[in-house]
Amino acid sequence: MSQAFDPRVKQVLDGERPAGDLPLALRAEAEAAQRVLAALDRREVSLSPQLDARVMAAVRRRAASPRRRAWRWFTAPSVPPWGLAAAAAAAFVAFLLLFRPASVGSPGAASPLATAAGPESVYVRFVLTAPTAQHVALAGTFNRWDPSATPLTRVGAEGTWMVTVPLTAGQHQYAFVVDGQRWVPDPAAPKVDDGFGRKNSVVSVTPTQGRVL
Amino acid sequence: MNRAFMLLGLTAFTAPALVAQEDVAARLQGRVPPAVAAAVSALIDTARARGLPGTPLVDKALEGAVKGVPAERIVPAVRTVLDQLNASANALHDAGIANPSDQAVEAGAFAIAAGMTVSDVAAIAGTANQGHPAAVALQVAGALAALGVPRPETVGLVRAEIQSGRPLGDLVSLPGQVQAAMAGGALPAAAAAGLERAAAAHQTTPPRGQGKGPVNPHKP
Repeated sequence: MSQAFDPRVKQVLDGERPAGDLPLALRAEAEAAQRVLAALDRREVSLSPQLDARVMAAVRRRAASPRRRAWRWFTAPSVPPWGLAAAAAAAFVAFLLLFRPASVGSPGAASPLATAAGPESVYVRFVLTAPTAQHVALAGTFNRWDPSATPLTRVGAEGTWMVTVPLTAGQHQYAFVVDGQRWVPDPAAPKVDDGFGRKNSVVSVTPTQGRVL
Repeated sequence: MNRAFMLLGLTAFTAPALVAQEDVAARLQGRVPPAVAAAVSALIDTARARGLPGTPLVDKALEGAVKGVPAERIVPAVRTVLDQLNASANALHDAGIANPSDQAVEAGAFAIAAGMTVSDVAAIAGTANQGHPAAVALQVAGALAALGVPRPETVGLVRAEIQSGRPLGDLVSLPGQVQAAMAGGALPAAAAAGLERAAAAHQTTPPRGQGKGPVNPHKP
């Protein structure tokens, strides 16, 4: 059934305008429309006896889908908008703590002496006197015992070899590698057994003051 | 922000730990024989299960390989390091430090490697306080032992220095002072004994059992 009502009559039917505001010519139309609608409202509506069961089955089917529930859990808002800024700030601080570069400082003056390069890092100068050596390198826990990673430089004519490296806090064991074959402990540093029948030298950088023992 | 973003953030933060695990294998691969790498990886798993740092084990394996040590001698050396770390952690627990830092555990292990006993480590760690952390005290003790200072003198000197209440820098300077005295002709034990007497003369904190000792922030 389709019937074109005047828009003002529709407003009355929708409750947006009192019927008394209508022009007299439209009041009869409005009353007729209200009668029709009242008759429709009173018409009995019959529902299928299976409707409840179908609706509840659909609800249970949707609720029981773990994939759908997981997706909703992932995508549901859980943190207020300002939480994003807080998380970004925390990530920035964590980045600084985890990946800050070693600070730069001037090298020390003796072996193994150091100049503080930061709260947990110092520059340590290693010196060995080896007049007949052709090549001297430093290998230790700080460079994964790689003899090619930290070569020393010969300074002066008396066979003094020197290198300065940044060390983080902690204890580091090391030795000089002379001419690629001979492992020589640092005569100026404490020594411990290396577990293989030789001696390692030890340099310790304290965690709180960046000092070398 | 929804949980998907949170999951991404969590992944970003846990990734370094996963990368670190990968890094252990990568550090060993190609530098030690495969059998050694497998054995060391198993020891590292054991260390991690006990809450011990794994890096010293990797370092020892690499050291053995670089020095040309036969494979059959590398694994026992790595196992010795694990034992030292374990003993150090036990000593720190005995001293009342429930969750010692990796640095403290490694420092204790180094002290043991240098000749200290587990009870020595516990005695020193038990004297540590907020101003004189266990990690630093044990580093100093290990350095003194490595210089040849006998165990009793090492323990006495480090404890006396902590109890003196003097700044941490004074504790840290002890190995250098001993080295200087040795360069002047003193025996390590005599040098340490002289420094211990000087520290005792400045002592402001009563020895343990004779009053309220220094506060150990690690103790529950």
